[in-house]
Amino acid sequence: MLRSGEHSVAITGLGVIAPHGDDPGAMFDALMEGRSGLRRWEGATDPVVAGTVQFDPARWFTKLQMLGLDRVSQLAVAAAEMARADAKVQDLDPLRVGVFVGCGMGGAISIETAFRSHATTGRVPPLSIPAGMGNAPAAHIAMRGGFKGPVLSYCVACSSSAVAIAEAGKSIRAGEIDVAFAGGTEAMLVPAIVRAWQMLQTLATPDPERIETSCRPFALDRSGFVLSEGAAFLVLESAASAQRRGARIYADLVGSGLSCDATHLTKPDAAGQARAMKGALASAGLQPADVGYCNAHGTATPAGDVVECDALRSVWGDDLGALRVSSTKSMHGHLLGGAGALEAMITVLALHRGQIPPTAFCSRPDPKCAVPLVREQGEAAPQLRAAISNSFAFGGTNAVLAFQRHH
Amino acid sequence: MSDTLEQLRELIKEKFDIDASSIDPNASVLESGLDSLALTELLFTVEEKFGVELLEAAREVTTLGGLAALIDQLRSGARPTPPAQSSAVPMR
Repeated sequence: MLRSGEHSVAITGLGVIAPHGDDPGAMFDALMEGRSGLRRWEGATDPVVAGTVQFDPARWFTKLQMLGLDRVSQLAVAAAEMARADAKVQDLDPLRVGVFVGCGMGGAISIETAFRSHATTGRVPPLSIPAGMGNAPAAHIAMRGGFKGPVLSYCVACSSSAVAIAEAGKSIRAGEIDVAFAGGTEAMLVPAIVRAWQMLQTLATPDPERIETSCRPFALDRSGFVLSEGAAFLVLESAASAQRRGARIYADLVGSGLSCDATHLTKPDAAGQARAMKGALASAGLQPADVGYCNAHGTATPAGDVVECDALRSVWGDDLGALRVSSTKSMHGHLLGGAGALEAMITVLALHRGQIPPTAFCSRPDPKCAVPLVREQGEAAPQLRAAISNSFAFGGTNAVLAFQRHH
Repeated sequence: MSDTLEQLRELIKEKFDIDASSIDPNASVLESGLDSLALTELLFTVEEKFGVELLEAAREVTTLGGLAALIDQLRSGARPTPPAQSSAVPMR
């Protein structure tokens, strides 16, 4: 039973700044062809692979506006502005607009700059606190647009922006607001933090021959994830509002499921992930057989990919054969707090276009990851009606979003 | 016009891209396009550029002319008058 109509939430705008650029359609094209946006990171002397974004702040901000504006907020404001332009929303009642932002580490660059400055000179830039605080991106989006409804920040590690989108959807369904700018942002590519991730032994070993292929979810030769920066925002709108103004609707957000493993800070748990998947399906009124695509969390860590596949198998059971699974992180890397929103956008575009992007660089799938993978090249999927996007966080919080083709 | 005042105007132009030539040295800088956070940032940069420690004394400064005078005073080795009240920056 597929749900649509009054209770659904329409996705009417997309804005992105990602390793594949700032055009959602062109990004999706690149993903369908299995093209990686990852490259060697210039911030370290040893080889590190990362997903960096090309971004010119002068296009968006005056020098005065740049004061105390960390890169993480710059990317968020720009992506949200592009989502707004894409949705062509105008004359919004500012009290009926909310901003829901996921971010894992806030203004990490400003914080590292402050620490470095303090350690070397004893002096600290005075705007380090407002630049570094975790809710700065949401605040700047609100100030830029004059949005005066709920303006909220979600710090849930790698699930942050999936949680933000889920909560935005609930706020719209509850009638609190008509329109939400929901998404995520992350910009933590600074030496100390990259080193900390390396020390945690979670990052992919850079391939010396083809560094852009280093992230290999579900593959036997996977070795971890690739850090990326970027921001992605979706305009969520009540069905009534979207219909009233005749908006173009990419897809509908029809449900979400949140759960916590409550077992271990970093080790994934299939039972917890399965609860979030079942919760998303139940809230959407979907059966597993209705869902044709799962944009997996699929970070390419040895443990994480196996556990996610276990969870998918436990929920889909005999219906697994009709599901297609891919991890686009193989090409755009892991945006951490921004990952859920970027992958939600890709899932929405998969429904909108009837195309499923692949997991790239998975020439030899791990038998322990026995789910129907789309690999190397994308697939046409004109019958695709519903899809989910998985996000699983350090801290144990799992967030699953369910989308449906609009009709 | 003092050299210090002119250097401050150049600094504001460079840092904030604001044409400071029209800023009245006796008017509040908060009415010249700089908000309280920008003023805080300006004072930090002034310390770096002029090699002075403004400390508490700068909290009373509200005009560009006053800031220039304070910088000159500090550079001459004189101790500034301590402020009567705390931060002029509005904070929640």
